[in-house]
Amino acid sequence: MSADQFLQYLISGLTMGSIYALVGLGFTIIYAVTRIINFAQGEFVMLGGMLSFTLAVSAGLPLAPAIILSVLIAAAIGAIMYLFAIRPARNASVVSLIIITIGVAIFIRGIAGELWGVDFVRPPYWAGSESIRFFGAYIHPQALWIIGTTLAVTVLLHLFLSYTMVGKALKACAINPRAAGLVGVNAKTMALIAFALAAAIGGIGGVVMAPLTLTSYNVGVMLGLKGFVAASIGGFKSPIAAVVGGITLGIIESLSVGLDWGPFTSAYKDVIALVVLLLILLLWSGRLTEEERAG
Amino acid sequence: MSESILETRGLSKAFGGLVALDKVDLAIEAGKITAIIGPNGAGKTTLFNLIAGVYSVSEGEILFQGMPLKNTPPHKRARLGIVRTFQHVLLFGNMTVLENIMTGQHPRSRYGFLAAALRLPRARHEEETISLNAMKYLNMVGLGTHAEQSAVSLPLGQQKLLSIARALATEPRLILLDEPGAGLNTLEKRELSDLIRRIREMGISVILVEHDMPLVMGLAEWLIVLDSGQKIAEGTAAQVQKDKRVISAYLGEDEE
Amino acid sequence: MLEMVKSHWALLATATLLLFLILIPFDWFLGQYTTLMIFIGISTIVTVGLCLLMGYTGQVSLGQAAFYGLGAYFSAVLSKTYSVDPWLAMLIAAAVTGSFAYVIGFPIFRLRGNYLAMATLGLGLIMWILFRQLSQITGGPDGMAGIPYLSVGGFVFDTSFKRYFLVWFFCLATLFISQNIVRSRSGRALRAIHGSEAAAESIGINATQFKVKIFVLSAVYASLAGSLLAHHLRFVSPQSFDFLASVKFVVMAVIGGLASIWGAIFGAGTTRILSDELLLGFGQWDVVIYGAILVVVMIFMPEGLFVKLKELLDRWRLRYTQRETEP
Repeated sequence: MSADQFLQYLISGLTMGSIYALVGLGFTIIYAVTRIINFAQGEFVMLGGMLSFTLAVSAGLPLAPAIILSVLIAAAIGAIMYLFAIRPARNASVVSLIIITIGVAIFIRGIAGELWGVDFVRPPYWAGSESIRFFGAYIHPQALWIIGTTLAVTVLLHLFLSYTMVGKALKACAINPRAAGLVGVNAKTMALIAFALAAAIGGIGGVVMAPLTLTSYNVGVMLGLKGFVAASIGGFKSPIAAVVGGITLGIIESLSVGLDWGPFTSAYKDVIALVVLLLILLLWSGRLTEEERAG
Repeated sequence: MSESILETRGLSKAFGGLVALDKVDLAIEAGKITAIIGPNGAGKTTLFNLIAGVYSVSEGEILFQGMPLKNTPPHKRARLGIVRTFQHVLLFGNMTVLENIMTGQHPRSRYGFLAAALRLPRARHEEETISLNAMKYLNMVGLGTHAEQSAVSLPLGQQKLLSIARALATEPRLILLDEPGAGLNTLEKRELSDLIRRIREMGISVILVEHDMPLVMGLAEWLIVLDSGQKIAEGTAAQVQKDKRVISAYLGEDEE
Repeated sequence: MLEMVKSHWALLATATLLLFLILIPFDWFLGQYTTLMIFIGISTIVTVGLCLLMGYTGQVSLGQAAFYGLGAYFSAVLSKTYSVDPWLAMLIAAAVTGSFAYVIGFPIFRLRGNYLAMATLGLGLIMWILFRQLSQITGGPDGMAGIPYLSVGGFVFDTSFKRYFLVWFFCLATLFISQNIVRSRSGRALRAIHGSEAAAESIGINATQFKVKIFVLSAVYASLAGSLLAHHLRFVSPQSFDFLASVKFVVMAVIGGLASIWGAIFGAGTTRILSDELLLGFGQWDVVIYGAILVVVMIFMPEGLFVKLKELLDRWRLRYTQRETEP
């Protein structure tokens, strides 16, 4: 691999990693506040992309309102998911919650397949499609939007959690729900906000990603899996760790695909990426500490 | 000096930088009831979990009947003859009372998937032995009339007895009881003490970690006192109660 | 007394069910549903394995279609491309799939809960992509046709009528074996792991080993079902083994009542009837309904629809028999 090629793979890794980071952020927010892994998280990315296509292309809305509306609708669906599927399932076991969120995922995906069909669609680019030369490599303007948006979301989320009342309450809930309850934080409200916020961030990932990568009704599963691994690198505890995890993952994935694997060319790109993901899952995270094993 | 069933030599455990247990030497006499006591954070639970095999040893060693245990996992210790109960009981809620005890016979039975799948005669024979033995332990703890009930439908006192019966069904040489008296009323505690003495009469060594001082003093033939991860005293109830270090360790602690 | 009444009922119910099953494929009875019933039988075999894994042992697999696909493709490729005897191909498929499950079982079952679910989901995706990409072997996304029928001596299973009995023989054998396992020492060990892993370990149960064993068994079941599918349709394609296929098996297990062996027939039956009969030609609405079923069942009756119905039936029967015996 030449230096230019390396740079090119690095850029594409950074771009895709940013998307994984946004999905990972969604997992982290919901897990921190509710201790639930939302297996439908990837579906919000799908929703963001598909909605923005419908609003901007089919309905003919100007780009900016279409984008904002898409994210808001995704957030609303996240809130609805919490109210109708998660909140009624109090005291459900981990396995039950996995099955419930999987149920929501295929529910959303099935409706999306009916509404939008099974073909890939491309919402309009945000700023043209003429690639910019960057040393020996090229960057697509949409990739810049993806990276920039992820950066902006991360910073804004940090400010939100640190400096607003609601943000601080969310954080308190994540650290110690019982203590937060004692000082008047309503855990159910916080869970609702967490789901809406996570869905919105997923939706943002979807709208900014779709023009570059295209999107269809079934992109949610793979993105969900990758976002999960991103968040698991950070142990589902810290949003920053999820972002770093996502970007690291994107770069590892891109470089492992870029390496010369002989017969295993790009046809096996996803297999290589998935094997890397599983290895990370097996070696890095998901293992029990001694304290946990003691029960 | 009689034989010891369990020994620890320089046993230490650190979590990260925090030393929870610091070079503890113990010799637990076979066939006796031994209690491990100490104020909160003394390292009782850590010691307990090390003997049970839940934690890995940082330094030192544990010997069971003279045999080093190293980091033998809990399920292998059960086969060797070390069994434990849990403070939070941890019964199998998806089973009946009798099935809970039958499950305890696991290390003393052998037949596997294939024999079960094809209902081989071997499987049926073993099943008969398993249920007979299970009934024996069930009656021993006085729950004979509750055999078909769901395990978690029992009141806490009976749940504790059941969890001990389940442990006994593994036919151990040494039984470790984690706070057996917690949450029990006076009557239930009397039943418990009675049961523990009967276990001892069966030739099984007993180690208990317990907060309830009257219960411990009435039961234990030998006490080991821990404080801040170190053994500060051991002896009979009378000896330990007079020990200055023990008194100061307990006086320094808030009421629980 | 109650025991006797119960076993009477069970015997009567079993006999009726068996007679019903035998009569179904005859044209004067329910012959038009023979193909549907073959699919129900095949799905039941996979679902029973999943019930053992999820319902009894408390573990999750969101990638069961991977093993189902491995069985189908091994049977297809060996018997068609390499002219291996179909029965031998089936056996090799089961052995290879089982060994594969065994090898990946140990690392995967170091994980639990959410991590385990994601890892199995990833595994399912990997296998699905491989089925599509290894097109020189598998025929790629278009699949592969012309797989031979199974036969015994000169007797070829070349009609649905014949294959119905073949499939249901395997299906009932699987159910019988599973029922025996559940009621055995190993079955108790599995349920103990579900109840409390720490407690199970404390009384001598090697939890990891049992999880891997039951994972292997469920994989072998799925492989067997896959082989039967390949020799029934004489055609395999990757669509049958995608993520949704794995989720559909979870739906079947959930409807059947996760911890119920015979419920698997009910779960597979309901789901197949919904997909292949009632909602055939209605696009993805069956998937939407499955999503709703998963959510509603897990919220309101986590023990499963079938088990809930059985409970109601038992209660009704108890009241009925009590009334009869009262003076």
